Amino acid sequence: MSDPPATSRWGPAHRARERLLLAELAALTAGDPRRAPVRDELVTMHLPLVWHLAGRYRDRGEPWEDLVQVGTVGLIKAVDRFDMDRGVEFSTYATPTILGEIKRNFRDRSWALKVPRRLQELQSRVSAQAEVLTAALGRAPTVRELAVAIDVQESDILDALEARHAYAADSLDASPPGDDSGGTVAASIGAEDPAFLAVEDREVLRPLLAALPDRERSIVMLRFFERKTQSQIAEHLGISQMHVSRLLARTLAGLRAGLEPAR
Amino acid sequence: MSPVTLSFAADTANVALARTVAAAMAARADLPIDQLEDVRLAVDEAVSQLIADAPDGAVVSCTFEAAGLNLRIVLSAPSASGRTPPRDTFGWTVLSALVDDVGAEVSDGVVTLDLRIARSVTVQA
Repeated sequence: MSDPPATSRWGPAHRARERLLLAELAALTAGDPRRAPVRDELVTMHLPLVWHLAGRYRDRGEPWEDLVQVGTVGLIKAVDRFDMDRGVEFSTYATPTILGEIKRNFRDRSWALKVPRRLQELQSRVSAQAEVLTAALGRAPTVRELAVAIDVQESDILDALEARHAYAADSLDASPPGDDSGGTVAASIGAEDPAFLAVEDREVLRPLLAALPDRERSIVMLRFFERKTQSQIAEHLGISQMHVSRLLARTLAGLRAGLEPAR
Repeated sequence: MSPVTLSFAADTANVALARTVAAAMAARADLPIDQLEDVRLAVDEAVSQLIADAPDGAVVSCTFEAAGLNLRIVLSAPSASGRTPPRDTFGWTVLSALVDDVGAEVSDGVVTLDLRIARSVTVQA
């Protein structure tokens, strides 16, 4: 086996090698001991992609080694889940997964610590009150209505609304885009959604959408292609509007990050 | 209510500022919180698109104006390409779905995006 092209330029020879390895990996069953060296080489040869993506987050105060480490976890997940039959380049597939891990690292470790307890408590009161008011009014409440109901300043409500995007959410939300629990991604890949055709850059978008967990993808499709409101989506999926908002914001950030390199 | 204007360097680190002001202005316009979140996302997307095409050292400026049932957000920045953002992208699809109307024009190398949001529901004052 030749040395992996860790830092050399990516050429046709590497692409051919990549395809060979991916095909080899696909042919081996999960427990086969021959998987390990193939997997290792695939991971090693794509480390430059991790470095590139981690580089975007270099100046945000996280140690470089940590960024590369979590990015590599994403890469390994991508190697394990890649399906050649989708006809997507591996790097296209791996990019959102790697970015997802890096961002999750920020969300879990950095952002989570910066949201004060007071705000976290207020945030849960706001969420609960929003549910109550939505039921009573038949629509989502305004910031003013929430402020009156909870008896706090409007600015506090705004802080609480913003905070819910920043801190690590409850376990229901634990899967960030591209990181779902086992079978769901596999089940969703290959599903044709006619609304995909509405988007011109679908060749780039399609694998990104396909890699989303079912619920996140549904939310994106309902919001942007069927033009449902967040409240309608919430009702449709049986979750709160705030929950929809949070999932939507995070999913879009992931999709946008995934689309960037293709520009 | 008089308009609020925000200017900042075309750097992704500043997108959060624009989002925060957008949410505050949406609250002033008495938008329900689901629409408020749409406005926040729309500004995030619009600013990201402007920054993506802005030359080094460029400044993005955003003007927010709440009037009656409407919120208007005008964002502009110099453009390296000298063109408005392409309309066949996912980003544009998202942007146009989040607001009632979005206009784009380029003049003297500056791209301007004009977002209009109408309050979707009746709220008691």
